[in-house]
Formats: sequence, structure tokens, C-alpha cells
Amino acid sequence: MSASQAVFSGWMEIPESAVHDQARTHTDRSQAEEETLAALVSQYSGTLYRVAFSVLRNASDAEDAVQEAFLRVLRHRDTLGEVRDQRVWLIRIVWNIVLDRKRRAKTRPETDDVAELARVLPSGGLSAEERAAAAQHHAHVLACVEKLPPKECQVLMLSAFEELNSVEIATVLGITESSVRSRLFRARNLMAELLHHERQ
Amino acid sequence: MSYSNQKSFSKDSGIGEAEVTLRLIASLPAPEGLADRVQAALHAAPRRTRVLAWPVPPAGEWLRTAAAAAIVFVVAGGGWGIYAHVQPGQAVPAIAGPRVGAPGGFSEGGAVRRPKTLVGPTVTTPPATATQKSKAPVKTGTTIASRARATAATPPVAPMVH
Repeated sequence: MSASQAVFSGWMEIPESAVHDQARTHTDRSQAEEETLAALVSQYSGTLYRVAFSVLRNASDAEDAVQEAFLRVLRHRDTLGEVRDQRVWLIRIVWNIVLDRKRRAKTRPETDDVAELARVLPSGGLSAEERAAAAQHHAHVLACVEKLPPKECQVLMLSAFEELNSVEIATVLGITESSVRSRLFRARNLMAELLHHERQ
Repeated sequence: MSYSNQKSFSKDSGIGEAEVTLRLIASLPAPEGLADRVQAALHAAPRRTRVLAWPVPPAGEWLRTAAAAAIVFVVAGGGWGIYAHVQPGQAVPAIAGPRVGAPGGFSEGGAVRRPKTLVGPTVTTPPATATQKSKAPVKTGTTIASRARATAATPPVAPMVH
């Protein structure tokens, strides 16, 4: 074999060690992504469920929305490392999913909300009648919330979550923090008028 | 002032009711085993498939560069080969093609066209010993054919020699 042939064959040859290193790196990276995803599920599935339930007000629909959100994360798991705040990012994903589902679904009758709330609300030592009355009251309040304009309604719903501050709400909705504050102010005023009108 | 304080509703009891309801909904516990069910769904989900199943794990950047260089080499070599074989400005010899025949696909075969002419009227010489009878003027309205019949009926007479 001439010198040039030796150089050429050496240039073309893929070293075994390089192949194994790359395979190992690929496997390690996949395993790391799986572990990250599992940690996200165990850490944030409850939060995402509450966000989904606050909009959909149905336990199975909310659970489906959470699963769909994590499936989307699975599809884009390569970009997990680029996400700065994973909690807000996940809430934004599930928020978009539930809004989309709510848009497609028909308007829920208030009686459905009453039944679902009576099932899921904590009893807290209340009798059956008191629980039913409480569920009816909450369903009525939620029906009033539904009457708000969509932008104000969304801000009001997200503001009820203790774990979200105004900056995070702004990130979820894709607006500025000042917009969040002004919308919240309007929502509260409108809500007060609505409930006052309902009582009369 | 913290945000949670900002979020506290005004004295209006109506807003307070709404706040209480929304917070109650927002603080509901997730159902038991939710995380496990989500994990199971993620494991059951189809993984991302590759369009081309490459038998070896993705090689380094150098292999891609080598492949690109090989493609460039082949393309450039082919182009040079064509350029080297065809010299510019070379006179291309004329090639005599076969004679194209008639549009119908058949050649003339050296034939000369002779157009057919119509058989015209034959002029007959009048008989020299024409009698008065025969000299009788022919009606102007008679046709050539009737004149020919009349000629045929009359026996031929030798022309008169002066």
C-alpha cells in the first residue's frame, strides 16, 4: 500500500471509539431528557391540573389537557434546556390547550357545573344540603365570571392562583404587566356590577 | 406591597365572593395518581421516528464534510471531463442526411410528371369533292359531335388537286 493510499484509508475510516462515544452520548442525552420530563410531571402535574380545571371545570377533561400538555413537551423535549422558567412555560402550554378546547366545546350549562362542583369541592364538615347549596352558589358565581369579556375573564381566573404573580400572568398571556393590572381592575369592577345586578 | 396583598379584593362583598370561589377552584387538589397516569401516557406515546433509519449513530461533523467534499469532487470532475473532450471553436463536419422524400413518405423514384391533357376535338379536313349537298351550310347551332357523325356518314373523298 502506498503512502497516499494509507493516508486516504485512514482518513475515510470511522474510528470505533468515536462511534461508541457518539452512541453513548446520544443515549445519555435521551436518558437525561426522560428524567427531566419525569421530574416535570411529578412536580407540576398538580398545578397544571388546577389551571385546566379552573377553565374546563371537568375533572376528566382537565386530566386530558394535562396529558396533552406533557405530550407536547415530549415532542419538543430537545428544547427543554432552553426554557428559562419551566413552570410558567408549562402553564402557558396547558392554558393554550384548555382555551382551545373551551372554544371548540359547547357552552357548559350551569347545572353541569353544580354537579361537578358538588362532587369535587371539599366537604369541610358540611351536610349534604349545605354542600349542594355551596356548589350552587359557586356555580352561579362562575357563571357570572363567564359573562365577563374574555380578556378580563382570563386575567381574573389566573389571578386566583397563588403561585402566579402579575409578571408570570403576563408571560402566560403574552401581554405586559401593566396590561394585566388594568385588565384585573376592569374585571373586578365588572364583576362587582354583575353580582350586584344579579342580586337585585 | 406584595402581589398577594394587591390581589385582595375590595370591600365589595360581591367581588369577595368571586375571589373566594375562584381561589377555591384554583386550590382543588389534583386527583390521586395523576402523575402516574401522565407518565404512563408518555411512555405509551409513539416516539419520534426518523425518516431514514441510519444504522450507525450520528457521526461527527467531519463525516458530513467528507461526504459534501466527495459530491463536489464528482460534480467538478464530470464537468471537467466534458470540457476536456469538447474543444470550443472546433468545426463540426457536415453530415449529409438522407434525402427527404415527399411529405407522403414515398420518393418520386426519378419519375417525371406529365400532366394529363383532355382529349380535344379532332379537326377533320373537309372533302375536296364536296357536292352542293355537302357544301350546304351547316347549321350554326350544330355541335361538334353531330358534325362528326355527319362526316362519318359521308364516304371519304380524295382532296381536290389544283
